[in-house]
Amino acid sequence: MSETPGVDSLVTETADRLFTQICDHEAVQNAETSGDAPEIWSAFADTGFPWISIAEDQGGSGGSLLDALEVLRLVGYHAAPIPAAETGILGGWLFASSGHEIPEGPITVLPDGGANVTGSVTGDEITLSGTCIRVPWARIADRIAVLLEIDSQSIVASVDPKDCLIQPMTNMAGEPRDTVCFDEVKAAVAPAVPGVDLESFRFRGALSRVALMAGAIEKMSQLTVSYTNDRVQFGRPVARFQAVQQHLVWGAQEAALARMAAETAAREANRGSAFFEIAAAKLIANQAAAKATKACHQAHGAMGMTQEYPLHHYSRRLWAWRKEYGSDAEWSSWLGKVAVSQGAQGLYPLITGGSLNLD
Amino acid sequence: MRFTPTELTNEELDLQQEVRDFLQEELPPGSHEPCLGMAARKDKAFSLKLAERGWVGMALPKEWGGSDRTAVDRFIVVEEMLRWGAPVGHHWVGDRQTGNVILKFGTDEQRERFLPQICRGELGFSIGMSEPDSGSDLASVSTKAERATDGWIINGTKIWTSGAHENDWFVCLLRTSPMEDGNKHAGLSQLLVDLTSPGLEISPIPFLDGSHHFNEVTFNDVFVPDINVVGDLGMGWHQNTTEMAYERGGPDRWLSPFSTVEQLLREAKGSELEDTVSDLFGELVARWWGIRNLSLSVARLIDTGEAPSVESSLVKEMGTRYEQEVVEKLVHFIDLEYSPDSDSLFERLLAQCVVTFPGNTIRGGTIEILRSVASKGLKGLPA
Repeated sequence: MSETPGVDSLVTETADRLFTQICDHEAVQNAETSGDAPEIWSAFADTGFPWISIAEDQGGSGGSLLDALEVLRLVGYHAAPIPAAETGILGGWLFASSGHEIPEGPITVLPDGGANVTGSVTGDEITLSGTCIRVPWARIADRIAVLLEIDSQSIVASVDPKDCLIQPMTNMAGEPRDTVCFDEVKAAVAPAVPGVDLESFRFRGALSRVALMAGAIEKMSQLTVSYTNDRVQFGRPVARFQAVQQHLVWGAQEAALARMAAETAAREANRGSAFFEIAAAKLIANQAAAKATKACHQAHGAMGMTQEYPLHHYSRRLWAWRKEYGSDAEWSSWLGKVAVSQGAQGLYPLITGGSLNLD
Repeated sequence: MRFTPTELTNEELDLQQEVRDFLQEELPPGSHEPCLGMAARKDKAFSLKLAERGWVGMALPKEWGGSDRTAVDRFIVVEEMLRWGAPVGHHWVGDRQTGNVILKFGTDEQRERFLPQICRGELGFSIGMSEPDSGSDLASVSTKAERATDGWIINGTKIWTSGAHENDWFVCLLRTSPMEDGNKHAGLSQLLVDLTSPGLEISPIPFLDGSHHFNEVTFNDVFVPDINVVGDLGMGWHQNTTEMAYERGGPDRWLSPFSTVEQLLREAKGSELEDTVSDLFGELVARWWGIRNLSLSVARLIDTGEAPSVESSLVKEMGTRYEQEVVEKLVHFIDLEYSPDSDSLFERLLAQCVVTFPGNTIRGGTIEILRSVASKGLKGLPA
């Protein structure tokens, strides 16, 4: 693992070591079967990693958004089956920016923030109604952070999942994506600080998925290089065949592209406005996931199609993450409008300058 | 393999702005027919103007006429030139690679003789690598240089020699001692050959669209003096491989269709097309942003003294394929018939892209060869 500019290298090393120890192939497989991985979560939580980027005086672990995203990259790299993004840079962020207490256990968020939930506020209490699908790990969460915009004001509710009806569901990787039904659920509510709204939540969600995806694609690429150099056919490692080299190179390129996009977007987000970088990074990661998955599976042959070999932990997560927080169509449409509005002369400066060129 | 993210410093951003202002002044949009990347028109007057500003051979030492600038500075100048479609053809090869080869392997006398002229934008160079029977298997070259008094007598044929009919010199990979069994990389040397040498025959090989870039260059007892041998005898393969690293991974491998795309937006502005192409532009800017960041990271790595051959091969393989994908997307999205003599500049450029871009994944090492180079480098990384 080589260093990323601006990231605390101790974070990288510690998180990588932790996941290498507790999050092997078998542990990930077991989590899929049981629908939970309490021992992985508690080892992860003991380090304070879930709450990086949330200030210590707000109940977090301190550290920068860059550090938090580096941890998420490693969560993706090790296919760790835990709600790391939801507890930290999504749910933790919502709570911290609205003065809610950060609970000890996992937090989850609604994928659309809360856009499809209706709420009526009385004082500092809200009554929520509606049903939300594909909520990550709702079944084990201590709290659900719900973000609503009422009369142009962003507010955050801290919901006790026990007050909701939760139906366990899964995504393509077998990770919990539950259906949560709010039937006039009462919860504490507080206004969010400026800048925290449904739009910024969507971008932040996309940023979290980009980090996870960059890690998973890199792992797939490395597995592929390793496997094809070990696997002998026609008397030599299959990696020596030009037709196979094509898949190795395509996998490595997409891994490099996705990681570069993730790290560049992370740097800009850590600094301020990063709408362009996040949108571009999610689109790149989505397309990289498709290209790398195809190349890496092909290079593995039948072995990659088995449960016994770990490639699927990454490829199936990528299929799911690709669709979360914005599909290819959503981000290419967003970026296209921005690009066209720059005009011909502004097109290249947008590519080199990114969000700095936007109002 | 590691592409470390990097960004431009304030000084580098100033240089970028300076280059943009220069191009806006010299080549305002609409005033010139943009070129498609490095296969650009030769315009010596333009090259001389760039050189006056210190933008040719800029990474070479001041001692030899350069500006002691970095690979990143050169990256900035080159990307702006290429995205603008500027006529960089005259100084292109000398600026990108020959200057580096002479600096790295040449004698002081050669540096004195060539580098200041390269930096002044005066000299044009070609590349003498491929032969009729040696393409991707470059080490099999058979053009022979035989010992003579104070020099070498050369016989054989080089092929696909772009610009040999207009340039001044070319660096040739030649066999200076016979092929040994089992070691075809030995016995090769690099020689600087004057393109006006007696006995040198330069014949055009018309490009598929009828234009003249390629040549076949035949050596009939051409004499090259010892002072034009670059580096050590027998080290040609190693030197040539190093030279190729300069040739790979830069903006010339992913920006060729940019001026076409920009022109589409210019012509689509305010028309029905503007909505149709919006999503297309989203995809294009995202991937260009991503590939540019990788390519910039390679330039930064070169400035730290590393030779990122795996990284640059990966970028070149991806970048040149991307150039073709861009053209395919344009063709797919644009519901019109384009032709080289259309009134629309966009259509003229697109027609040229369609016809000539199949060559982008071939020139400077086919993508198949690049995959082989890169995949060997990927081996041994931790899984």
